[in-house]
Amino acid sequence: MSELIAISDLVVDFDTKRGTLHAVRGVSLNIAAGESVGIVGESGSGKTVFSRATMGLLRGKRVHRTGKIIFEGTDLRGLDHEQIREYWGTKIAMVFQDPMTALNPVRRIGSQMSESLVKRLGLSKEDAKKRSIELLTQVRLPEPELALLKYPHQLSGGMRQRVMIAMSIACNPKLLFADEPTTALDVTVQAQVLELLADLRRDMGMAMVIVTHDLGVVAGYTDRIAVMYGGEIVELATTTDLFANVKMPYTEALMNAIPRIDRKRGTSLAAIEGMPPDPITIHTGCAFAARCPYAQQKCRDEHPELVDAGNGHLYRCFFPIGGK
Amino acid sequence: MGLKGKPLGYKLSALWFVICGLMATVLRLLPLPAWDYNDADALGVGIFSKGHLLGTDYSGVDQLSAIIHGTRISLAVAIVSVFFALSIGGALGILAAYARGIVDAIITMYFNVTLSIPTLILVLAMVAIFASPDPFNPGYTIPRILVLIIAITFVAIPILGRLIRATALSWAGREFIVVAESIGVKRRQILWQHILPNVLPAMLSIGFLTAGIVIVVEGGLSILGAGATPGSSWGSLLARNRGDIALTPHTTFIPVVVISLTVMALNYFGDYARTKIDSRESRI
Repeated sequence: MSELIAISDLVVDFDTKRGTLHAVRGVSLNIAAGESVGIVGESGSGKTVFSRATMGLLRGKRVHRTGKIIFEGTDLRGLDHEQIREYWGTKIAMVFQDPMTALNPVRRIGSQMSESLVKRLGLSKEDAKKRSIELLTQVRLPEPELALLKYPHQLSGGMRQRVMIAMSIACNPKLLFADEPTTALDVTVQAQVLELLADLRRDMGMAMVIVTHDLGVVAGYTDRIAVMYGGEIVELATTTDLFANVKMPYTEALMNAIPRIDRKRGTSLAAIEGMPPDPITIHTGCAFAARCPYAQQKCRDEHPELVDAGNGHLYRCFFPIGGK
Repeated sequence: MGLKGKPLGYKLSALWFVICGLMATVLRLLPLPAWDYNDADALGVGIFSKGHLLGTDYSGVDQLSAIIHGTRISLAVAIVSVFFALSIGGALGILAAYARGIVDAIITMYFNVTLSIPTLILVLAMVAIFASPDPFNPGYTIPRILVLIIAITFVAIPILGRLIRATALSWAGREFIVVAESIGVKRRQILWQHILPNVLPAMLSIGFLTAGIVIVVEGGLSILGAGATPGSSWGSLLARNRGDIALTPHTTFIPVVVISLTVMALNYFGDYARTKIDSRESRI
């Protein structure tokens, strides 16, 4: 598989009143064309900032972004707004978390959808309408012709997320970020939306990054999974390898936190004790040391680097589960 | 816009607007009693007098006709100045809210500086300077109304602009703006096609309230001698007749009642528009 995007050592800092907030602390990730990668982490782990910073959606004086984001040979970080805008939609696109707030409430679905079709692809109004109907059919929205005339509040959450997906794939992007695409949806709709995303990825041959806090969500739909904690990738492996040979205690804790139907009645759900690290502090030891059941003195004193266990399974731990 | 099921105040306001609209357009074509200062029986008569429904003043000017003919200028001053203040202030406010940074700083500074100039003195000065006869070209003066409209617009821009900036700010931070950016919509399009339609209802509501204020301000300026030409608008009619309040009180009260009704109707419409917006927002 050819490499589509190579992110190396991406650091995203925000200036805040309390000091510099280190949201993403040196993340490197390569994504091949057509590949599906899951990014898993809890709130504040930097996964959303990572995906938005990669796209270049964060701007302002208080955002500092260093590192390299090589997309098809061009470093996206060096582009100005007009240049990066050429990539948005047509090369990289994003599906956002909350479909309730992601659509303009005062404009009809049709006018919002045809906006990028007319302006970006240069379609005529009629063609844009036809294409919108095609796209809505592709995302399996019932009665697409009627939906074009509706306002966002007339659609359900699942339907809106389908519209959002249709809008983001309208210009055939090569890389689609799905930032918690199912978090705001009913459980029954979640599976449908994930299924839809997986099918679209296969049909359109695009690479996809699913950002989520739910390991169970990405398990069936990704080739590789990156686990993020405290702004860093703490484990990166193919999905099957990750579930079979988990190395990082944090990943293990996340897996234990997934409710399972075969668990004995009466046993309580395993939660991870403690709080995620303050994004303002600089890690001296391992970011997870304070909450880790296996932590030793070395974990608190030294910051572990990503280690390759062979076969590309990376982990950031001195005492990995199952030994080195 | 059907009237069924609307609150009573809304209906009465709508009725008054229709009357105002008629006064400004067709009612002035009616064969109203002409000014006849030779008719001694018609000098300073009260309301419901024969031939003079709202009476006359001491010079024999028919008050109904004066009110009808004053409608156009009173409303024109309010509508035109609010329209321009909303357009310019709105454009600046929305631009400031979306662009932030240096653009926002400059626009906000402009608003704050203009707000710091005392309104009354500025308008008085502008009317005094621009609407007085040019000594080098005595035959020509800029129409007072024009100067008045420009002065009021100038004063209203920062007030409306700041309000609109605040509203636009709350919309500019919404997720759908980021979504629009992420699919490659141009900034200018985001400004006019995503933020403006959301801010527009609030602008409309503010506009109604401001129009009411402008009508009152115009009356106040008339009393100071800086309003429209005496007798040509409701405010200036009131200003001209106020000296006769002891002898022909109706000539003072009639313009007051007309102004009050208009302002009340405008405020009611503004409030109604605002509740509409609020309930719409809660549904989103």
